[in-house]
Amino acid sequence: MKKNLTWRWLLIGAVTVAAVVMMWPPKEKINLGLDLKGGIHLVLQVNTEDALRAEVDAAMERVRAELTSKGAPPAGAQRMEDGRGFILKMSPGADPKVVDQVVEDRLLDFNVSRGVNIEATLKPEVARTIRDMAVRQGLETIRNRIDQFGVAEPVIQRQGIEGDRIVVQLPGVDDPGRVKDLIRATAFLEIKPVISVAPTREALLAAYGGAVPDDAEVVVGDVEDLEGRVTGREYFLLKRVSVITGRDLRNARRSQDRYNQPAVSFFLTPDGGSKFEDYTRNHIGERMAIVLDNRVRSAPVIRGQIRDEGIIEGSFTVQQAEDLALVLRAGALPASITYLEERTVGPSLGRESVIRGLRAGLVGMALVVAFMLLYYRGAGINANLALILNAVILLGAMAALKATLTLPGIAGIILTIGMAVDANVLIFERIREELGLGKTVRSAVELGFSRAFGTIIDSNLTTLIAALFLFQFGTGPIKGFAVTLSLGILISMFTAVFTSRTLFETILARKGRAQTLSI
Amino acid sequence: MSMRFLANTNFPFMRYKWYFISASLVLLVASGVSIFFGRGLVMGVDFAGGTQLTLRFRDTPDITRVRRALEGLKLGEVTIQRFDEEGLNEILVRMQNPAAEGDFTKAMLDALEREFDVPGAAVHLNRDGADAIRDALVQADPDSVGGSVERRREHYQPMAEALLEFRRGVGVLKGMSDLERVEKLSPGVRRFFANDAVFGEFAMLAADNVGPLVGKDLRNKATLAVIFSLTGMLVYIWFRFQLPYGIGALAALFHDVIITLGALSFTQREMNLPTIAALLTLVGYSVNDTVVIFDRIRERLKLERGMPLPALMDKAINQTLSRTVITSGLTFLVVAALFLFGGDVINTFAFVLLVGIIVGTYSSIYIASPVALAFTGLFERRREAKRRRR
Repeated sequence: MKKNLTWRWLLIGAVTVAAVVMMWPPKEKINLGLDLKGGIHLVLQVNTEDALRAEVDAAMERVRAELTSKGAPPAGAQRMEDGRGFILKMSPGADPKVVDQVVEDRLLDFNVSRGVNIEATLKPEVARTIRDMAVRQGLETIRNRIDQFGVAEPVIQRQGIEGDRIVVQLPGVDDPGRVKDLIRATAFLEIKPVISVAPTREALLAAYGGAVPDDAEVVVGDVEDLEGRVTGREYFLLKRVSVITGRDLRNARRSQDRYNQPAVSFFLTPDGGSKFEDYTRNHIGERMAIVLDNRVRSAPVIRGQIRDEGIIEGSFTVQQAEDLALVLRAGALPASITYLEERTVGPSLGRESVIRGLRAGLVGMALVVAFMLLYYRGAGINANLALILNAVILLGAMAALKATLTLPGIAGIILTIGMAVDANVLIFERIREELGLGKTVRSAVELGFSRAFGTIIDSNLTTLIAALFLFQFGTGPIKGFAVTLSLGILISMFTAVFTSRTLFETILARKGRAQTLSI
Repeated sequence: MSMRFLANTNFPFMRYKWYFISASLVLLVASGVSIFFGRGLVMGVDFAGGTQLTLRFRDTPDITRVRRALEGLKLGEVTIQRFDEEGLNEILVRMQNPAAEGDFTKAMLDALEREFDVPGAAVHLNRDGADAIRDALVQADPDSVGGSVERRREHYQPMAEALLEFRRGVGVLKGMSDLERVEKLSPGVRRFFANDAVFGEFAMLAADNVGPLVGKDLRNKATLAVIFSLTGMLVYIWFRFQLPYGIGALAALFHDVIITLGALSFTQREMNLPTIAALLTLVGYSVNDTVVIFDRIRERLKLERGMPLPALMDKAINQTLSRTVITSGLTFLVVAALFLFGGDVINTFAFVLLVGIIVGTYSSIYIASPVALAFTGLFERRREAKRRRR
């Protein structure tokens, strides 16, 4: 008996010490959820249709250019409505052999049907791969941006294996609007030759009979005064094919323009640099447009040969210039992004929630402890020790499992305090009953524990069932609730039954043949 | 002499069962009417979709202006709710637009800023982050540090951080007098803030934006969680007890959920994810309470074979009565602490549990056992009839 008790105490001691080591100091070891430390939780969708469309456009351009160079220029080209393919209108005089060859060489990823026209649709498996790549690349880009922005312990994950959604969790961000802009910026940079400029679209296209030429596109830009205020718009007719794009960038950083205003300098890769060098050497005196996300930022005149460096001007603040440099460095998103869900908790609200949760928990705990002492006297001390032990082990377990404590999680702990005493109440009431029936102290304790045990298992299991399904289907904070509730209940089996019984038996062993029990 | 109450009681619960069952029926019907024909259940952004901002104003907020600014967006129905807590000046604004996906938080904040804030100020002290405030100082350079941007940043960074840390503590900066308490600020910076910074009227404490896609997901998940946990408990009870008792526990469970939903409908509190979690917890709690009594009935059944079932049930309920009341009472106390001190965010959560504990305790005594009794009787009469027919 004595030896048995020693072993039990050793176990209880070991568990307690382990829990304390795990959780101490709680400020560092307990992982607070976004709702308690403040931060942003975003669910965003990568619009993979964009990537498909880009792929289709690129293929269409390639084929058209090739056909034209081989003397069989198409009469027209059009993307299909659903964005999955394109139609090339062929002139009747085109040499079928040339067309066949081009289709065979250039449209491997497409299902092609040939009549007078060429109708090409992306193969479904290729489309799937493109979508998947777009999401992966999006994830990578966002991760790069967040890393460069410098947020501690960010979570950036794809939701599911095949989905087009990405979950981003950023703790402790003090300017949510800025971060959201930073993540969403497509940051697609292109430098394109300028054909002409006009104040309205109509004036721009007047020279072409009102229609946009096949190899060109219309892009809008803002007109700014010297102070950087937007005073109007300009319409640019640009060549469709870019001289260089964001993919040719090696680096970008905040710098200053001639007027000492914040600007962004960029540096090209060796490949991009030589392309740019060739182009600028041959087009001195012409204008080129720096297009960011389909908007002309500036359209400088080429003064001389440029090797591998450029500057983006515009009315930036220091911060905007820095953010743009950051997204250019991190790379462009392959597709646009839509925010499906946002949960932002400001740091001050998180802090208040912690304080309030702690206050509620302490008040609740004090009430329970006081009641148990008043009502059960000596046995109440026993139950209260078990209760405190429960709280300590619960925190230790949370730290060990790296579980996140959320506001509903605090509520779960508080609720556990109420429910964990239930086991002791069941046992104590049973012991009192048995004592009332005239049993000896020792056998009353024995019977109290053994008879109440089945009931305790039954009643705890029902709550556990609810908690487990909450864990399975719950999101974010609710998961935190399920974790603390189920852990708390499981731990209460150890503290309220095992520890409490060991305490009783130790006291009984000390007293020898006790006649009374403080309960 | 230790304290005891409700020991050795002998209430004839079963004799009065019809009174309690009728009272419960009245409550159930009232709840049903309130949910389906009356005020209905208020769906929060989690399930209905939409955008919800928690704002703290410097002074008492002018609700009419808030409404005007947001309705001007024409993006959806606007609801504004005031928290009653004294001196906090907090409001909850919600815009519901079930059809569209997107970042409405930004649109709403921009509209509110246009209405309340001075445009074009160099710094917005209740909105900007530490970096933005630092960079505004770098650009204006009120301490005449000079040199490179990096050098100026080094000088102003600690001040911006100290200011932000202070803002985190108070939620919203009320004015220059607040800045007096941030010791790190240099006199030059203070002067710059006094002349060129705006405080705005409000600070955003939290934003929740749930688009239709995610809203649907959340609804599905909540429904699944409810269905699975109810089924799980049902299976458990079936497994542990005889059928009539399973029906009794199930009746008590539905009784509790419907009446609690009725209370939610009547008080017009919002249904959201935490509310569902609270409902499931209350289900677990209520079944737990019922199971304790059923366990005792089963134990008595083995010990006292001759005793008629109603008397035996009365005895079992009486024997466990002190435990029922003590545990419920303690849990109630704890949840009451949560309700009173836990803050706005978990208030509804605690409310559900408060109502649930009362109803759940009541139902495990007055509903579960009588229903189990009635069905035991019913099944026995059927068996009897079958035997006679043979």
